[in-house]
Amino acid sequence: MDSHHDHDARLVVRLDGVRKEYGTATALDGVSLAIRAGEAVAVMGPSGCGKSTLLNMIAGLDRPTTGTAEVCGRDLGAMTETALALFRRRNIGMVFQFFNLIDDLPALDNAALAAQLTGVPARQARDRALELFDELGIADRRDAYPSALSGGERQRVAVARALMNRPALLLADEPTGALDSRSGEQVMDLLIDLNQIGQTLLLVTHDAGLATRCAGRLVELADGRVVAEHTLEHTA
Amino acid sequence: MTESVFPEARGGAGPLAGAGAVWQVARAGVRRRRVQTAVVGIVVFCSTVSVVVALGLLESVSAPFDRAFAAQRGAHLVAVYDPAKAPASAPARPVPAVTAASGPFAQATVTIPDTVEHLPPGPLTVVGRAGPGGPVDRLDLWSGRWPARPGEIVLDRPPNPHWSYLLGVRFTVPERPQGFTVVGLASSLSRSAESWVTPAQAEELRPSAAQMLYRLGGAGTDADVRRAADAITAALPAGSLLGTQSYLAVKRDHGRTASAFLPFLAGFGVLGLVVAVIIVANVVGGAVVAGFRHIGMLKALGFTPNQVVAVYLAMILVPASAGAALGTVVGGLAARPLLDDIGLSVFNVALSPWVYAAALAGMTAVVTLAALVPALRAHRMPAAPAISAGGGQPSGRGRRVHRLLSGARLPRPVSLGLGLPFARPARTALTLAAVVLGAATVTLAAGLSGTMTAYGAAAQRVGHVHTVIHVGQARFRETPPRHGDAGIETLLRGLPGTVYVTADAWIDLHVVGQPQPIMGRFLRGDSATLGETIVEGRWLEGPGEMVASPAFLEQQGLRVGDRLTLSLGRARTQATVVGVTMSGEPDLIHADWRTLTALSPSAKATQYEVRLAPDADLEAYHAAVRAADPGLRPVAKSRTDQNAVTVIGFASLLTVLLGTVAALGVFNTVVLTTRERRRDLGTLKSVGMTPRQVTVMMVTSMAALGAAGGLLGVPVGVAAHRVVVPAMARAADIVMPAFMIEVWSAPLLVPLALAGVVIAVLGAYVPARSAARLTIATVLRGE
Repeated sequence: MDSHHDHDARLVVRLDGVRKEYGTATALDGVSLAIRAGEAVAVMGPSGCGKSTLLNMIAGLDRPTTGTAEVCGRDLGAMTETALALFRRRNIGMVFQFFNLIDDLPALDNAALAAQLTGVPARQARDRALELFDELGIADRRDAYPSALSGGERQRVAVARALMNRPALLLADEPTGALDSRSGEQVMDLLIDLNQIGQTLLLVTHDAGLATRCAGRLVELADGRVVAEHTLEHTA
Repeated sequence: MTESVFPEARGGAGPLAGAGAVWQVARAGVRRRRVQTAVVGIVVFCSTVSVVVALGLLESVSAPFDRAFAAQRGAHLVAVYDPAKAPASAPARPVPAVTAASGPFAQATVTIPDTVEHLPPGPLTVVGRAGPGGPVDRLDLWSGRWPARPGEIVLDRPPNPHWSYLLGVRFTVPERPQGFTVVGLASSLSRSAESWVTPAQAEELRPSAAQMLYRLGGAGTDADVRRAADAITAALPAGSLLGTQSYLAVKRDHGRTASAFLPFLAGFGVLGLVVAVIIVANVVGGAVVAGFRHIGMLKALGFTPNQVVAVYLAMILVPASAGAALGTVVGGLAARPLLDDIGLSVFNVALSPWVYAAALAGMTAVVTLAALVPALRAHRMPAAPAISAGGGQPSGRGRRVHRLLSGARLPRPVSLGLGLPFARPARTALTLAAVVLGAATVTLAAGLSGTMTAYGAAAQRVGHVHTVIHVGQARFRETPPRHGDAGIETLLRGLPGTVYVTADAWIDLHVVGQPQPIMGRFLRGDSATLGETIVEGRWLEGPGEMVASPAFLEQQGLRVGDRLTLSLGRARTQATVVGVTMSGEPDLIHADWRTLTALSPSAKATQYEVRLAPDADLEAYHAAVRAADPGLRPVAKSRTDQNAVTVIGFASLLTVLLGTVAALGVFNTVVLTTRERRRDLGTLKSVGMTPRQVTVMMVTSMAALGAAGGLLGVPVGVAAHRVVVPAMARAADIVMPAFMIEVWSAPLLVPLALAGVVIAVLGAYVPARSAARLTIATVLRGE
């Protein structure tokens, strides 16, 4: 019993029979999935198979129609909108395909925003953002606005923003989908590095190369169901 | 030339070519933008209501009088001559200014004794005429018949069945002991007499004057009428003209109350119109900006630039036409009680069709113009850049402000909210203008309320007179008093609680030469404590002095220091104008009791005005008065002025209406901003912004604008008040003391400055809440 409890305690994500319907369409059909702390999991599948919906369930951006979505030990389906927002703030970092940066804010302020929302003073938030910019190699672009950044730079800013509050789980939705191959490679390396230092990572992609390079486990979705799971071996 | 794939298609480029497609796209736009469609409809509806009420009042001020006056071929000038000095034919001689003349008619005065039921005691002007018709002043004999023999009389009464009970009434007067029987009721808009008899009967009454009635070629202004009067009387012997009466004075009297309402209703009407224009421009501007891709696609599909403009105009004209039509109907219904309230229902006229047509067409035209300016932007936009511009998310503007704010010691949702208005300067300017006008409306209404409250207190003499003791009149079947006039005054002075007592007698009398009587209020006792507001000169101090309203002095052409002759029956006395009251009827004078004694030595007071000690119990005092003499009827002095109540009521109603319209402007802006910034909002929520923080951010973005709008709106409102109040006072023949206009004080202005914030927060809250509820997954999936 104790060992089972210990085993569950290390779970960051636990989906149990999650079903999601939009009107008459079923996006997820009884998905069960567990992700342990420090794991890097990639979810793959064709367009419309439910990848993004799965990611939204885990991020608390959407709620299951039936089933349970537990993240960091919290049942997201039972939480209010405000509680979900506070939960996301503390536990989840998100990276999107199209970056979703605020155009009116310079790069550093875009990243600092995530910390400022928790009440961290502007200067402290910027210092933390600058540390991350240093680590991600974009410190010299701190004052540039998103429109002046390359795709790779924008995605690094997005990653910095996602890491600002040291999240338990980093979610990446097609993080290289809008990037040229060189920038995509850089972002891939960045995600690998992050996982190697212990960051739990859930990656949604249809890019097999990205999945196999970054993830330790591959989950395949089709028509809203998990159709296969593979453990991937990486050579050091 | 290639053959069309659709042979039935008309390939013309005529003005109606493709109208079906335009309508289809516009209809889809209306359905898609339900919120904006509703906002435009409601805004245009509210503005149309206020415009119809203002136009209706504008028409009612003069139109019904002018129509009825023209139908009666009313006399522009009534002149009264001394038959002893003017030859009988002289006043009727041809003068170029005169287009028609009637008379001379013998004019006499009889005195109704106070024992006669149904008729007010005092002098009655009687004119001898053979019939109600003639070239001038065709009387509206609306009940009964014209006198055919001596002893028959027609009374001047407005055409209202209420007065029909007078038909058949018999009364005697000292001048004709055999008496008169009322055989008819007639109405003269020229106010040429109070009653008519046969010419032979008039001669029997020993006429003191001869009356001539003139229609003039040009009589638009007082100066025109004066010039004509001078021309008519130029050749007459000195002193033969006893007096004249211009129809303009009568007309002003009819429209006085309505004229007083006109400036403030017009003010609110203009404010409503401007706010509507701003909001419509904002809605269309927003739709164009948000629809860049849509515009590009329409053009790519083959819509001409004019057709694209037509799409946007049609999208606005659908709700605007509905709002204007409904607003016209509701405005017409709302105008009726207002006209009744201010006494214009005497003409019993509906609003002219032009009022409805002008409001409907005018509002639609104004809205079209307001929509056209931003719609032309869609006209100019090339297709390719429009398609690539996408959903119109703003970028690049206001970055410096955002940067400054991001370092500020403010919660991040607040600093983000404060930066939002800078991203869309034009939209912000329009929204700010709507809030400024909303705050100005609130300020104007507050100022009007302050002014009217001060005016009402002065008019009702609040604090100066607490109760009025009426004397029972036997002719009204009331118990007559046991005490005489002096005895009543002594009795009241002796009652506990009495501080001051003023005895009043209200007597009908004449200014010599005038066909219409005036009302004299003669005062005895502590009249200096009545609290009458004197705006020029001083209050009564002795016999032979009088004070009067500005309207009376204007009508009579008098000023402080002038003398006039008053007559009551055959008695005459002179009085000097020593002061001007703030307001009052145009036929009312106030004079010392000794002036009345010179005209009627036996006159008695009809009421007593009493000021009580601060600790006196009004009910107990009234009981003591009734117990002391059952013939005395005490009535507590009203503390509210009906005009003040009406103005404040309507100002409050219009403020709520226009405040709502301004708030809808803010509402629309937040809806547009939310729509444009869906991606940003989704992003912010994805990084942990709570729904409450989203609400705070969106409300803050407008609250800051509201604060600025309030600060700018207050001076605009104060300026409007400074224009509207003197105009109202002028129209109502009121001279307002400065303290009634300078009603502004810091404790009033500070909350008024917050009116903009209230409007902005009320307008922003609902769409901000809906922004907070945006489903992030849906928003971000769209990207």
